[in-house]
Amino acid sequence: MKDHLPLNPQALDLDEPAGGLSSYPPSDRWDNWTEYDPARWPEKVEKHYSLIPTICFNCEAACGLLAYVDKDKMRVQKFEGNPAHPGSRGRNCAKGPATINQVNDPERILYPLRQTGKRGEGKWERVTWDEVLDDLASRIRLALQEGRKNEIMYHVGRPGHELIYNQRVLHAWGIDGHNSHTNVCSAGARTGYAFWHGFDRPSPDHSHARFILLLSSHLEAGHYFNPHAQRIIDGKMDGAKVCVIDTRLSNTASKADYWLSTWPGSESAVLLAMCNVLLQENLFDREFVRRWVNWEEYLREEHPARPQTFETFLEVLKEIYARYTPEFAAQESGADPRMIVEVAHEVGRAGHALSTHVWRNAAAGNLGGWQVARALEFLAVLVGAVGTPGGTSPSAWNKFIPTPPMMPPPPNAWNELMWAREYPLAFFEMSFLLPHFLKEGRGKLAVYFSRVYNPVWTNPDGLSWIEALTDESKVGRHACLTPTWSETAWFADYVLPMGHASERHDLMSQETHAARWVGFRQPVLRLALERQGKKFNSTYEAHREAGLGEVWEEDEFWIELSWRVDPDGKMGIRRYFESPYRPGEKIRIDEYYRWIFENSVPGLPQAASSEGLTPLDYMRKYGAFLVENNIYELHRKALKPEEMQGSTVDPVTHVVKKNGAPIGVEVDGSAVAGFPTPSRKLEFYSKTLKDWHWPEHSIPGYIKSHVHRDNIDAAKGEMLLLPTFRLPTLIHTRSGNAKWLYEISHKNPVWLHPQDASRLGVVTGDLVRVQTAIGYFVDRVWATEGMRPGVIACSHHLGRWRLKEDFGGERWSTALVDLKQIEPGKWMMRTIHGIQPFESADPDSSRIHWEDAGVHQNLTFPVQPDPISGQHCWHQKVTVTKARAEDRYGDVFVDTNRAHEEYRRWLQMTRAVTGSGNLRRPLWMIRVYRPAPEAFYLPGK
Amino acid sequence: MRYGFVIDQDRCIGCHACTVACKEEHQVPVGVFRTWVKHIEKGEFPHSSRHYGVMRCNHCDDSPCTEICPTSALYQRTDGIVDFDNRRCIGCKACMQACPYDALYIDPNHNTAAKCNFCAHRVEMRLEPACVIVCPTQAILAGDLENPASKVSRVVATQKVSVRKPQKGTQPKLFYVGVEGDLLEPTRLSRADTYLWSDRREQYAGASANDGVNLAGALAREVYDVPHPTPWGWRIAAYLWSKAVAAGALLVAAVLLTLAGQTASTLFNIVCPAGALVGLAVTSALLVFDLKRPDRFFYLITKPNFRSWLVIGTYFLIGYGVLASAWLLFGIFLGSVPRVLQWLAAGFAVASACYSAFLFAQAKGRDLWQSPLFLWHLLVQAFVAGSSTILIMGILMDPTAGALRPAILILLISLIVSLAMNMGEIALPHISEDVRIATRVLIHGRLSRRFWGLVIGIGIIAPIILAALAMLGAVPIAFAMIAAVLALAGLWWFEELWVKAGQSVPLS
Repeated sequence: MKDHLPLNPQALDLDEPAGGLSSYPPSDRWDNWTEYDPARWPEKVEKHYSLIPTICFNCEAACGLLAYVDKDKMRVQKFEGNPAHPGSRGRNCAKGPATINQVNDPERILYPLRQTGKRGEGKWERVTWDEVLDDLASRIRLALQEGRKNEIMYHVGRPGHELIYNQRVLHAWGIDGHNSHTNVCSAGARTGYAFWHGFDRPSPDHSHARFILLLSSHLEAGHYFNPHAQRIIDGKMDGAKVCVIDTRLSNTASKADYWLSTWPGSESAVLLAMCNVLLQENLFDREFVRRWVNWEEYLREEHPARPQTFETFLEVLKEIYARYTPEFAAQESGADPRMIVEVAHEVGRAGHALSTHVWRNAAAGNLGGWQVARALEFLAVLVGAVGTPGGTSPSAWNKFIPTPPMMPPPPNAWNELMWAREYPLAFFEMSFLLPHFLKEGRGKLAVYFSRVYNPVWTNPDGLSWIEALTDESKVGRHACLTPTWSETAWFADYVLPMGHASERHDLMSQETHAARWVGFRQPVLRLALERQGKKFNSTYEAHREAGLGEVWEEDEFWIELSWRVDPDGKMGIRRYFESPYRPGEKIRIDEYYRWIFENSVPGLPQAASSEGLTPLDYMRKYGAFLVENNIYELHRKALKPEEMQGSTVDPVTHVVKKNGAPIGVEVDGSAVAGFPTPSRKLEFYSKTLKDWHWPEHSIPGYIKSHVHRDNIDAAKGEMLLLPTFRLPTLIHTRSGNAKWLYEISHKNPVWLHPQDASRLGVVTGDLVRVQTAIGYFVDRVWATEGMRPGVIACSHHLGRWRLKEDFGGERWSTALVDLKQIEPGKWMMRTIHGIQPFESADPDSSRIHWEDAGVHQNLTFPVQPDPISGQHCWHQKVTVTKARAEDRYGDVFVDTNRAHEEYRRWLQMTRAVTGSGNLRRPLWMIRVYRPAPEAFYLPGK
Repeated sequence: MRYGFVIDQDRCIGCHACTVACKEEHQVPVGVFRTWVKHIEKGEFPHSSRHYGVMRCNHCDDSPCTEICPTSALYQRTDGIVDFDNRRCIGCKACMQACPYDALYIDPNHNTAAKCNFCAHRVEMRLEPACVIVCPTQAILAGDLENPASKVSRVVATQKVSVRKPQKGTQPKLFYVGVEGDLLEPTRLSRADTYLWSDRREQYAGASANDGVNLAGALAREVYDVPHPTPWGWRIAAYLWSKAVAAGALLVAAVLLTLAGQTASTLFNIVCPAGALVGLAVTSALLVFDLKRPDRFFYLITKPNFRSWLVIGTYFLIGYGVLASAWLLFGIFLGSVPRVLQWLAAGFAVASACYSAFLFAQAKGRDLWQSPLFLWHLLVQAFVAGSSTILIMGILMDPTAGALRPAILILLISLIVSLAMNMGEIALPHISEDVRIATRVLIHGRLSRRFWGLVIGIGIIAPIILAALAMLGAVPIAFAMIAAVLALAGLWWFEELWVKAGQSVPLS
């Protein structure tokens, strides 16, 4: 057996002695693999497969899959893990194998559809791709020609590919048109991290850690569930202890050595108390802090009168954080102060081998949640666990995005419908405010693409989205690019079927551990057919041949659309979509990736040629490539003499600049790379925050959340709703087509401590009405000891609905509802029936044994944007009462006028300012789809 | 080669990847599971915790499912894997009763039994099972327990492992590391009517919150499980009943003819054997129609597993049917039945009546049915049913028939013995916690009203009184017929409750 799979070395210890069982077929036989048919077993009936690697499309982790394509039936039989994938190492969560449900879903959309009535009326007809492309292209073309650049918007939930690949498209069109889901997701944590080290994500090295501190639920969800869960458990089994800070007993908390159930929003107080313990007990790494923290800048700016020495800084630090006593933190959080101290000691003992992570959780729930990430990183900085083995690196060190051919220059365009002036520091687009921005007349949209994005359901205040999407004066055309039905797709003009995990090309890379890799998603049926000698110009032709309707892949959609926007090339768009190998001709998807693999992935051409393969064939065969392993402490990398040539060193800040741009920093006399912050150091002190009028937050601190205990009056029946947590089996609204996942989990009762339940006079199964600022929902109770008293929690995947009995929503997962506007702005949703068995080509659909579809809570949440990070603050102050006689399970009531008032109220919290020279946003901060530098300045100045 | 699993619950994160990967590999229909991840919680906030247990076939070396399977559709391979061949399965569901681990289910596509088969088709290709390779945290290991160098052997040899229900003597080959003990003891869990993320289906075997199953001191709460339907329903109860009538008809007739000196008559020559044959026909029909694959009923004869009491019992029933037919023919054509035939028939009647005790004892999952009294109880039931049938038929033929007094006496005695046996079942020390719980369900729980009211009150005590009065001549002899009808009804209710109570204890 040939054993040359580029497995992660850790996976190799799994090997059994000779003669034992193997985990995967040997890669040299992937193209022609024979297995017995399990359905016929014990009769030995051979089935012949082509094993083609691809990438899972369910969450953002981008784990490898290995598609078993049945050569005779030309169908995917199953998806296993891809052992050649460095992130997922051949293993998957439940959502990986459930991909087969999504591919075979009898309810899936196979042909493009056009709404024939008014948006939302639910009158659909089949339409040709040509008609769709021509209509959209002509509208885009007109908008571009008329200078209405900002009326084109691509709004993406799960891109499936690295952002840079669509940046190519939108920048070729010359627009600032990318909108994302990030600010309902991770902007809070990103902001906290970015103010420390410029990079906006953490990359913990769990498998080498001695202590793992999680404000996340990575053993069940999140960035990046499966890869991180593997490594957290590896670390734990190698002796690391785990602390989980989470209000509810998550599955992750269930595996922790320390579970701190904190009052939501108090997390930074707890973390700063731990910092205080480390400082007072001198359990921190002095040398690391001295070398890598911007304490000099801090003293210079804030304490100019005191001696500018490191000792002064330590004195100041101890003074500032002395107030965060464990008792104070305990009072804020409800956690046991002794446990806070014990965990701090564990952190101190772990030293450089402290891995940490916060992604959504508290950072996404609270006003000021971004300070939670900042406080967490403060702990890591104090013990010097930045970029170390067992520590936490900045994301970008462990991610590799190969450059595609022909990157267009960034456009001079700035779209204020996303990057609003009130939120200059917002980490990503103010996406969830779009309906309110439209309502206020800040702009309108000629063409709105929603891509695997379901704002009507996922975002807060979904009924304002419905109002916006049904207002044709605000949204000219709405095209929904999706492999599945969604509540948002119902309010589109076009529903355009895009491929699932095994039906498209994408390049992925994620910071799963201390390495860099790229993974390759592939349309496996096309490949299997091509291996049989068939030739196709585009993937949808292969899909048509394989009986998969007219499912497109998105790359080809954008190429085709761009050609139609600029058919003669006069707008300067078309040239970015021409072949690098056949000048003037439309680029083929093969050529696109061939170019990237030949030119942009270091080491790949060599690895490929050592196997006698072209780089593209190597990636087609293995689906992944490990670019670099064991990456640590890149901030210490000395600048090379050629980099230093022509550079200057600022005598005060020691920042090394070249051509006006900072490239590093001098530390103890040697020039090193440092971090991409203005000081090139870890910024304990953010001058940016001070300059942009938030001086009180210039250092890590504790912001009292909007759901701080002081704001919740328990005597009035007020409680805190924690609505953000995920289940290991589902992914947002994209897994409603996976029957095997839905039979495991299909409802989201309200978690309530038995003490609260008895106060309300309810028991498990009883109905309660949960009143928010703009409406209410009615759900059942799950009384549990896994919940902090005073807080309720409700998982966020469930409560899916559809408006028509047999169309427009997967019947595996949606309840049929009646949605009415009872008077202007007042909406009422009532469930007509729950999930029911139905007849389809899949006999399982008649065996559906679950009825409960859950309750859609997000509709009742107002938008609550953090004035700094722009993150929607998910936690809700609610009043919980026993349901009234007229209440039915699943009822939702919302007043969108009140929702708009809430929007206005939160908008008041901003301190709209511009930087020097009328800067819209600090130039050093990350900005996705970064436009040209001149676009960063307000016009006319 | 002896394949087995190690499941490390310290590594397991409760993600259900194994569940879904298994479904994908075997295209397992919705609603049934070859492997699943049970969740329990215990403690009080903030000292509360959640634990996971991956449940599936234990590939027992002494597997009750292969023993009870009447057609050897379930079998153990030479490499230790307990596999199945759904082409042989008749869908009798006996394996589901035999397995103490809830590992089997009826596949709705084929209406045959299925379970984890260690991915034998993959093992043949030298590949690990689908659940093993998918597991994100490598919590599941599969390998050769005979090879001391294999991963599974090393873990079993060096770590603290446990198995489910070792007291069942099944020699399970699934070893758990780090499992929370209450996951292995389903009777120690409390249950609500719903689960954490999912509906809890109604047809669970007696596991609703208020059925008296729960221990008052249960430490842990079941918060997620998959459905485990009750395999046997009214047809099996009815089969026990009709079989008692069939067997009792000639058993009691033989006793009356030989011991009580009753003389041959139409009642004994024709009505009794005809009744036995009708009873047998009904019994067979119930058995066949309880099969999920009634079209394959003849596999009992053509593909028999002689270790299975389903098969042995079938032969008893056939033998008894032949003898009853002979009895009838003698009765019709010769007007008398040879003594030898009477005794032979009585012997097969006893075998037919009592073999079910061995069958139910092979249902190793159900402790209640392991009762040593059950064999004798079945015999007594045959006397109750037989004497009742004879009394009803006899009195219908001749309402004043004083000659039936011995039959009334048999009824009276057998009812009294039956009452004693029922009380014995309740009062004797229980061999296991499962028996204690099943008995509680019967006498205190959700079946108790029917048990005390219908089985004991109306079905035993009332007929005892009536029969005694009839014997004493205090009431007309026809009242004995009422006693007989009540006794038969009581027997019916007993069988139904016995079948239900036996299945009321959760196996997993």
